[in-house]
Amino acid sequence: MATTAPVPGTDTTTEPILEVEGLVKHYPLTRGVLLRKQTGAVKAVDGVDLALGRGETLGIVGESGCGKSTVARMLVGLERPTAGAIRYRGEDVTRLSGRALKAVRRNIQMVFQDPYTSLNPRMTVGDIVGEPFDIHPEAAAKGDRRRRVQELLEVVGLNPEHVNRYPHQFSGGQRQRIGIARGLALRPEVIVADEPVSALDVSVQAQVVNLLERLQDEFGLAYVFIAHDLSVVRHISDRVGVMYLGRVVETGTDAQIYGHPTHPYTQALLSAVPVPDPAARDRRERIILTGDVPSPADVPSGCRFRTRCWKARQRCADEVPRLAVPEAFRGGGGPAAHPSACHFAEERRVVPPDEPVPSRGGAR
Amino acid sequence: MLLDVRDLRVEFTTREGVAKAVNGVSYGVAAGETLAVLGESGSGKSVTAQAVMGILDTPPGRITGGEILFKGRDLLRLKEEERRSVRGAEMAMIFQDALSSLNPVLTVGDQLGEMFVVHRGMSKKDARAKAVELMDRVRIPAAAQRVDDYPHQFSGGMRQRIMIAMALALEPDLIIADEPTTALDVTVQAQVMDLLAELQREYAMGLILITHDLGVVADVADRIAVMYAGRIVETAPVHDLYKAPAHPYTRGLLDSIPRLDHKGRELYAIKGLPPSLTAVPPGCPFHPRCPMARDVCRTDVPPLHAVERGPASGPGRGSACHFWRDCLEGSARR
Repeated sequence: MATTAPVPGTDTTTEPILEVEGLVKHYPLTRGVLLRKQTGAVKAVDGVDLALGRGETLGIVGESGCGKSTVARMLVGLERPTAGAIRYRGEDVTRLSGRALKAVRRNIQMVFQDPYTSLNPRMTVGDIVGEPFDIHPEAAAKGDRRRRVQELLEVVGLNPEHVNRYPHQFSGGQRQRIGIARGLALRPEVIVADEPVSALDVSVQAQVVNLLERLQDEFGLAYVFIAHDLSVVRHISDRVGVMYLGRVVETGTDAQIYGHPTHPYTQALLSAVPVPDPAARDRRERIILTGDVPSPADVPSGCRFRTRCWKARQRCADEVPRLAVPEAFRGGGGPAAHPSACHFAEERRVVPPDEPVPSRGGAR
Repeated sequence: MLLDVRDLRVEFTTREGVAKAVNGVSYGVAAGETLAVLGESGSGKSVTAQAVMGILDTPPGRITGGEILFKGRDLLRLKEEERRSVRGAEMAMIFQDALSSLNPVLTVGDQLGEMFVVHRGMSKKDARAKAVELMDRVRIPAAAQRVDDYPHQFSGGMRQRIMIAMALALEPDLIIADEPTTALDVTVQAQVMDLLAELQREYAMGLILITHDLGVVADVADRIAVMYAGRIVETAPVHDLYKAPAHPYTRGLLDSIPRLDHKGRELYAIKGLPPSLTAVPPGCPFHPRCPMARDVCRTDVPPLHAVERGPASGPGRGSACHFWRDCLEGSARR
């Protein structure tokens, strides 16, 4: 077991099952055809620490290019990290190979964003959901597979008799259920879901979110839930990590991040989310950021957010801020005392308090 | 009324049969007003806009009825030439995907300038100066240097600004924005929506904002029309609708979105799926998914009732539900 002192910001609500430390993924930029010379690197992920507790949901939010999908792909072994460790039950997966690696990967499965391109159009639903059993034959005896597949379809709310149909015969929401059934087939402990509801219509999105929550209770799953929709992430997550340009800039429980954000990027991100309440128009304070996210091939020195930050000073260009509980909050505890990678962290409420909003939950 | 769409009907011939994509839609926009048209995929919100703009693909599409009155003239009776002079100069459209809407082999300066050369007969040099001015207006930094860049050299947010600049070039009276920020990140979305709202105020344009995002609607719209299966099911001033929806579909949508301001319990989920447009259910198209449906809903198509009495009612509210009173009262009690 390699469990030393916990990395700041990774204390889970339950015993950790998956721990990520110093995770890095650089894609080399080269010049020349015969004499290839590396001229730089796209720093897609550049030192990420995360931990996931048993049966817990960790939400990861951030805008396009922040590296959240690359983290997901490394967690399930679709990409090899440039550096860093991914520990599953204390064992570093990045150092495993062969049979040992296969055994671990069985327990960490993925659900993809696009239900239209992530299912092979020439395979029947039964073949798609049962394919994991071909790779891990020990998970289900040959004669038992059809029954297991039908069971899985039923679990995700599809008609088990549709096992011989093809993906195009299903709607987007149903296809996402097929993807979830495939993810569940090997009874994993961890599911990494990359934007699993982003491609779905609003009325169908709620069905799939509810399904994911039900399955979590039923099978004791832990989720890494990656999305750009901050409301969906709040709804489903126990803890949230906010990423910007390859790094985690703030982590905490959902109440800490949404109610008491201390990093300016988190504050800007939250303040920009349109809230479905016209009465909040005048009550809300909007932080409109200037400019665009810098290229991950040419990352600013010091704090990566400084080029768009209204608080940036000389120190921000000179010194990389660490992801730790800011000094100002260290003594007092309270909801603002959570890790935030900012030299000048301060609390700022940007999500309007929910009192004046009528409670929802009517037309049931 | 700047734009007055009356009982518009559009059909598409598909392999599965005739799809009634727009089935008797009426809405209006006044100068300076923002109308949000909200709907899920296949609701007919974009097809309606394409018909108004005159860019519907025909065939397979076909306008089978209705009027589109723009400044008093019925656009459907105009010749294509006359229509072309309206498009761009008097009404303009902003699309979701700026990268595929801009010409990749022309500089943005050429594309912006073309508007002035074609519609205003300007010289190339003057048109280029106008292009720089417009890029400045939509706050593209260093416009004079970037006017000769190609679309791919701009970020997504900047490209969307260029689209807005193009739409604004000839100072039209009406702008139709079809999911203008859906492809953008949330901080960029806020920048672009801000810009759009400011320019609209300044030029007192009418704006039709087509979206599926109830959050964006709440932020910017004055009025809202909710579409389902080719029909408007509810229309109202935006504050009234969010306070107490008068149609079960609207209410279901509002209840099914997770909130940013609190965690909430299990989400309300509208059961089932939107219908295929080639097989819209008889009666009320929403009845198979509706928690309030009764026998009459399965047989009689509900007209758009005026919502005149009850909580949060007022002029200009309409609901295509037989039981709008019950729905409205139930909504107000939530």
